[in-house]
This record gives sequence, structure tokens and C-alpha cells, in this order.
Amino acid sequence: MSKVIMAVDDSTSIRQMVGFILRDAGYEVIEAIDGQDGVNHLLNNSGIDMIITDLNMPNMDGIELIKQARAMPKYKYIPIVMLTTESQDNKKQAGKAAGATGWIVKPFQPDQLLAVIRKVLR
Amino acid sequence: MATTEILETNKYLSFKLDNEIYAFDISQVREVLDYTEITKVPKMPAFVKGIINLRGGVVPVVDLRRKFDLPSSENTVNTCIIIMDITIDNEKTLIGALADSVQEVMTIEPDFIEPPPKIGTRLNTEFIRGMGKKNDKFIIIIDIDKVFSSGEAYMLQETKECRQFEDTSQEDMEKNNNENGDK
Amino acid sequence: MNETTNFNDIFRQEADELLFEIEEAVLEIEENPDDKEAINRIFRAVHTIKGSGGMLGFTRVAQFTHTLETVLDTLREGRLTVDKNLINLILRSRDHIKSILDSTSGVGEIDPDQEKILLTQLNDLIPLDDDKNAQYESGNGQEETLSKYSPKESIYRITFKPGKDIFRTGTDPGLLIEELKSFGDHNIILHYKNIPSIDVLIPDECYLSWDIILTTSQTADDIKDVFIFVEDNCELTIDIVDELIEGDDYKEVKKIGEILVERQVISEEDIKSTLNDQKRLGELLIEKNKVDYDTIETALAEQTQIKKTREKHREEIKASSLRVTSEKLDSLVDLVGELVTVQARLSQFSSVMDHSELLSIAEEVEKLTTELRDNTMDIRMMPIGTIFSKFKRLVRDLSSDLGKSINLLTEGAETELDKTVIDRLDDPLVHLIRNCIDHGIETPSVRKENGKQETGTIKLSAVHKGAYVVITIKDDGAGLNADAIKEKAIEKGIIQREAVLSEKQIYELIFTPGFSTATTVTNISGRGVGMDVVKRTIVSLRGSIELDSSPGQGTMITLKLPLTLAIINGLLVSIADTCYILPLATVEECVELTQENSDQSHGSNLLNVRGEIVPYIRLRDHLNIEGKRPNLEHIVITDVQDKRIGFVVDKVIGGHQTVIKALGPAFKYVREVSGATILGDGKIALILDVNALMLFKEH
Repeated sequence: MSKVIMAVDDSTSIRQMVGFILRDAGYEVIEAIDGQDGVNHLLNNSGIDMIITDLNMPNMDGIELIKQARAMPKYKYIPIVMLTTESQDNKKQAGKAAGATGWIVKPFQPDQLLAVIRKVLR
Repeated sequence: MATTEILETNKYLSFKLDNEIYAFDISQVREVLDYTEITKVPKMPAFVKGIINLRGGVVPVVDLRRKFDLPSSENTVNTCIIIMDITIDNEKTLIGALADSVQEVMTIEPDFIEPPPKIGTRLNTEFIRGMGKKNDKFIIIIDIDKVFSSGEAYMLQETKECRQFEDTSQEDMEKNNNENGDK
Repeated sequence: MNETTNFNDIFRQEADELLFEIEEAVLEIEENPDDKEAINRIFRAVHTIKGSGGMLGFTRVAQFTHTLETVLDTLREGRLTVDKNLINLILRSRDHIKSILDSTSGVGEIDPDQEKILLTQLNDLIPLDDDKNAQYESGNGQEETLSKYSPKESIYRITFKPGKDIFRTGTDPGLLIEELKSFGDHNIILHYKNIPSIDVLIPDECYLSWDIILTTSQTADDIKDVFIFVEDNCELTIDIVDELIEGDDYKEVKKIGEILVERQVISEEDIKSTLNDQKRLGELLIEKNKVDYDTIETALAEQTQIKKTREKHREEIKASSLRVTSEKLDSLVDLVGELVTVQARLSQFSSVMDHSELLSIAEEVEKLTTELRDNTMDIRMMPIGTIFSKFKRLVRDLSSDLGKSINLLTEGAETELDKTVIDRLDDPLVHLIRNCIDHGIETPSVRKENGKQETGTIKLSAVHKGAYVVITIKDDGAGLNADAIKEKAIEKGIIQREAVLSEKQIYELIFTPGFSTATTVTNISGRGVGMDVVKRTIVSLRGSIELDSSPGQGTMITLKLPLTLAIINGLLVSIADTCYILPLATVEECVELTQENSDQSHGSNLLNVRGEIVPYIRLRDHLNIEGKRPNLEHIVITDVQDKRIGFVVDKVIGGHQTVIKALGPAFKYVREVSGATILGDGKIALILDVNALMLFKEH
């Protein structure tokens, strides 16, 4: 069965792009439009294997999403990858502190994204 | 073509055949060898004496006396082989020509070269490029390319064709054989 | 030589081969669209051209290739389907790359319009999300090739001890280890000694650590990148324990004992006896509590890994191939030829001298020369498949131009032939296959009417037969029209109208110069070079050509070619003062022909060899050699085309390694002699063509 990855981003284009790359690579993708939407998905969906999340989002940002996810027993140990930009180093640190597994810097090539996923998701 | 350019050099290597002076265009002459053993190649026209070993390579040698219908003679210490560059069927190759003796390298200005005479020569004029005049003597300038290719084209053509029709060619082949044989 | 030009030439050569490979693989996927491996091969080839091209400043090649690569990548990922258009596009792109390459060496020019069209068509096939990808970045390509072309391997020792809370960030250290494993040969030691007893164990804490001994051409930075997400939450050390320097593979560090013995401090016996009652160092250390078991294990793993890697490296060097230009090879063959001649002289001289020392040296030299000769000849052998596969393209292109459907089958592609022969076979084979396509195979509708399969078949096969390779080109087309050929020959003045010819003889007419059967000159076979040129080339290769055809069934052309052109094993014989060579491969035995034997045959020229009647030819007569024949002659019995025939000579001298010298254009039409060779004493021996002599006998 293919792995389920939740892609969380407020930008439709990025979400779709990430979604396209992942589906194309054989993953099942759940799209969430912000942290809050993401948390809802986590609560209602038990089979999420990995989260890819933007940090800067309306309603609930990525850091908070990571904290909440780690607080849920089901998602305590799943890999969570943040989408960051070069200038967001402090955010990255915060994200790591919140329990993020890794990060990928925007903009990225499809290959890079897939490489990161292979690195953290079995 | 190449021959007209060659004419410009005006230098010739003269040699003797049956007490007559002949010459080759110097630009075609590679070297002059002492007489060496010649290995006969079967099924070739009689004027082709055979082949020699030139530093590990194989070079055919023609007997100009035979070609020009001059009486044959015994080899002497002066007998030599003049090695030349020639072109056969657009392929460059070396060929050796037997000569009684080599004379000298001489300059003949184009003005002193006359077209081959129509009559009065024992030679088939086809092989003659011209008659050079030097010190009131006539020197017969030989076109070696023609000696080998054109004159014998008929003969070779025939040989070639008889290869195509093995059975009908038997007679032709035997004809060739006889030519080779009657020395 | 200028380094850059050198690299450029190497690249061009490599690219040529890759382009060839692309063509081959494209034709394979055309036949079998699901052939993933073929698709991968195309991709890899294109990828390499791009990478190397970029690195060497062939920017235009790299840029164009990049787009093609992207398309291929898409195809490889299964996002495109193989169809005729795609195949054509790839083939055209491949040709375009070739033309860019050619233009860089001053041959031809690039057609910018063609490039534009191709790029548009290629880009149309690339999915939108890959658009960024389709822009060529020279930087990327360079890096890739650098690491690819400087595969300097090092052995690293990596110790990795993740932080205890690593699981809480969703990290699976196992995956990092997996990633490292993909870098190269590895030996992994897991240390689990720190796992506490169950009552104090916290389940989501990590107590494990790893030592990894890794042989890789990746850099320490690449290795560090693997741990990028965890680097501030683990203990990580990466050390180079061994660098593989060229030539180092065989070097062995002296053991302490060896040094001591060398310095005569102690005797070898002392060392041995001491060693015998010594425990292994590791055991001793553990015993003394100096190090723990795990550390020793890591060290041993390290040792094994270094040994293993060096060994592998050695093997790779052994099996690796070297590319040399064919000119170098040709000059090597020439030199071997010279050597063989000199060796023959040495052997002859030494036998005359009757000096035992000299004789044994001469024998040694002869042995070595033979070996050298065989090896050199072997280097020159190439599988004929190298030209076979190019015909696939020819058949494909031409048949579609003519609206015919033709399948090319090849057989015996692995058959090896001398490179020179293969090179010169190219044109004749192209011509013969063109003929099959143009004149042989009918159009699908005609075939259908005649109750044949719509798709015609051309079968190209090669097989070894003794000292020869036999190549056949067989089609299932209309066959030759004997009447039309005869009519044409009469018209062209080649034969007389009243000539009576057998069918085979009529077929042979197409080898006559100036003969062409096509009523309209097509741009396919009506190119001025006729079958006569084909025949001449084959004959100049000391081969023969035969033609067989049955109306409505097809035509078969058989080429018989010698394995090699340069040196053959010959049997040296003499008649009068002249030596001749008969190819040893055809010789079966030699028997004496006494005057009585000869008389008994009553001029029938037949000999009874152990009950079998063998015809013979008197070479002395046949070759018009003057002189009286000796009382005792010899017959060399040969097997030519499965027929036994004897050749009468004066003397049989013995085996001779024959370096073949061409007779040159002056002797083009002498069939009985295929070449000459220089003997040890500088004399010339003529190489006889037994096939031609045999033909004489048959008539």
C-alpha cells in the first residue's frame, strides 16, 4: 500500500506542485490549506505516514502544527519535513525544536524533494 | 591533370634501351635499383617481368624492351630497375621499369620537346609523351602511366571479362597463357 | 598533443559510440515498447553525452541534449508512451546531436531551423512541472561528470551515535544507514551494548550507535550531507582510513616481524616460534581490558574492508579496457608482420648455421612471435554485429520510404572478423541490403496477392567456417528475373543474343560492370555503384561472392571472406626456382607423385588416395612455369569448398607464417595469386588462391 503524505501549504500552486510530484512518485497525497486544516486531517485520518508543511501560514503556522502533531500519540514519531526558505533560519531552529525531522529549502527540484522523502520515510 | 603540372619541372632521367636514349619525367622517379631477382607472376602479360622485394614491399617490374618490341638482351652490370610512382585506375602505386643503363638527369625546356612523330619510330606512339631534343640528339620521353594502363587496358579488360564468364573465357585464358609462355 | 583537443576527441569518440547505442536501443524499443532496459540505456547514453559535453564545453550539445534527456526521463518514468512519432523524434534528435558534434570538428554545419523544430517538439512532450528542468544548467552537469569521471575511491570510517531523543523528531536512523549503504561497499557494525536492562529502558530513546566502514568515491561532505537533519543531535565522526592511490594496490605494509628480521635483530625461526604461541593481538588486548570487544570488531571490519576494496580495485584494473586508435593497431600489425619475417630469417639462418645455442634461441623467438602474432590478430577481431545493427536503421528507413514492410533478422552477430575486413565490408553489405529492399522485397499489396505475408524478411547471418566467415543475405522477395537480366545484358552489349547461358550464369551477369536491373533509377539502389563494385571489393578482400535465386521465393547472396587479411599460416612449396604459399587451413595432406603414378593416370590427372579418387592440377603447367619437372613430384591435397583437390608441386618445404603483401592494382585481375610474401632470405613467394585454381579445374 502506498504511503500517505499530507502536504500543508497555503499557496495553492505549491500544494499542487508538491502533490503532483508526490503522486507521480507513487505516494498518496492529502492536501491541507493551513495548519488548522492539517490538524483536522490528522484528527480525522489515522493513516498519515508523513507530513510536509510550510512554516508561514494563516490560521495556524507550521511550527504549531508540528507541536500539535507530536502531541498526538499516533503522530509522535512520524517524519515531518518543513518547507523553508534560506532566510528562515530561526524558523527552522524553532521547527526542529518543535520536533521536525528535516527540511527542504524552497525553491527545489522535484528530485530534491523526493530525495528528502526517501531519507526520512520508509 | 597531374601530368601537365609535372611537365613544368623540365627535368628528365634518361636511360638506355637497345642503344637508344629514352627518358622519364624525374618527378615520377622514386629511385634507381641495381638489378635484383624478379619473381614471375603467372597469368600476366609477358612485358610484366614479375615482382621484386623493395624493402619488404612488393613492386611489379615491367620489361620495356618487351613492351616496345625490342629484342631481348642478357642482363649486364649496368642493368637497373627504375622505381616510379604511377596511377592505375585512379590508384597510386609503385612500378619498376627495367633499363639497360641509367644515363643522367637532364633539363629539357618545353620548347625543345616536339610531339611524337607519326611515322619513323619503332615504338607505339601511344606511350610517347614527346621527343626531346638535346645536343642534336633525340630523346624519347616515355609516359609510364600509359605504358602500364592504356596500352594493356584491352588485355586486362579481356582478362577481367573472362572472369565473369568462366566457361567462355577458357579460350581467352589460354591465349594469355600462350603469350606468357612464348619467350 | 594539446590536452583539450585530446579530451575533445575522446568525448567525440565516446559520444559517437553512445549515439550508436542510442540508435540501437531506439530500434529495440520500437520492436518492444515495454523494454524498460532499452529506454534506460537511451537515457543513460544521453545523460552521459550531456554531462561530459557540458564539462568539456560542448555547450550546444549539452543544451540540446538536456531537453532530450528530460523527455527521455519522462519516458523512463512511464509518463510518455512509445509511439512512432516519439521514435522518429528521438532518432532525429540523435542525428542532430551528431551534426552538432560533427560541426565542432569542422564537418558539416548545424541546421538551426532543425534544432528549433526539434526543441519545440521535444518541449511539447515534457510535462509542465518539468519545465524548469528543461532549462539547461551547466553547473549541474559539471558536478555530475566530475564525480563520475574521477572515481577516486576512499575508505571512510564513520561513527554515528544519534542523540537519545532522535526518535522524537520522527527520524529513523536506519534510513540514514541505508542511504550510506547506497554509496558503496560497506561494512556496518551495530553497537547495542548501551541498551539498558528492561526495567530502566525508555522505549522511545535511542541507545544504539553504529560504525560504518565505507568505500566510496563520494566526498566526506557528501557523507556529512546524509546526516544533515540530525547533525546537531548526534555524535558523528567521518575519517578517511585509506585513500586508494594509483599503484598502491599492490603495496603491502611491512609487518613488524619482517622489519626485525631484515635488520637481523632476530632470526626468522624466532619470529615463527613466537608467533605460534602468540594469541591474536585483538584477543590479547581484550584480555588486558585495554579495549572492548566492539572496538576490536570495528577495527577488524575496517581491515577487512580495506583488503576487500583493494582487491576489487585490482580486479577492476585487470578487467578494464583501453581505447586505442585503429591506426596504432594497424602499425602494431605491420610491426608484427615485419617481426614474423625477421623471425623466419633467423630460423632459416640458424638451421643453416647448425649451432645448437642459436637454434634454441631461434625456436624461442619463433614461439614468442607466434604468440605475439595470435594475440595481435585477436585484438583486431571484432564481432560483425557492430555493422549488423546499423543495418536495422537502414532497413527501417528505406522500407518506410518505399512503403514496404520489411523485417530484418540477424544471426551470428557475435561472429568475429578482422577489423579491416569488417570496415571494408560495410559498403558492399549496404549495397546488397539496399538491393534486397529496393528490388527484392515486393510491396505489401503485391505480396498479399501472391499469397505471401505482407511483411517481407531479410535475413542477415554470419558463421565461421574454417579460415573463413560466411555471410549470407537472404530475402523472401520476388527473386531475380532471369529473362529480364538476359534482355538487359543483350541490350547493354554484354552478351550476344544467341549466347546460351545457364540460369546461374545469367544471374552472374549482374556482377558485370555497367549492369543495373532497375528500370527506373531510384535514389535507393541506383547510385552508380553496381554489383560489380561489390564483387570487386569482396574479391579484393580475398573473398568470394555467390548468388542464388528462385523466382517468387527470394534471393540469397553468399559472401565468403577470410578471417584475417594480414597474416596466414601457409604451406611453403616450390616449383622450379619459385616459392609459392598454399593456405595451410585448406591443406589436408601431402603425398608423393612418382613418375609411375603419373603415368598410370594416363593424363586423367586423378589420383587414388587410400581408395578415394582425388583430381589434381599440375601447377607447373597451369601457371606456365618453364623447365623440366623432376622425377619425384609432390601433391598437396586440399579441401576447398568441401571438395578435395590436389596441387602438384616440385617440393614441399614446410609451414610458413605468411605475412600477406597485396600485389597492388597492377595485378588486380590475376586471380590465381592472391598476394605475395617475403621469405626469410628476402625472396618473394606467391600466395596461391586455391578457390580460383579449383574453379579452373571445374571447367
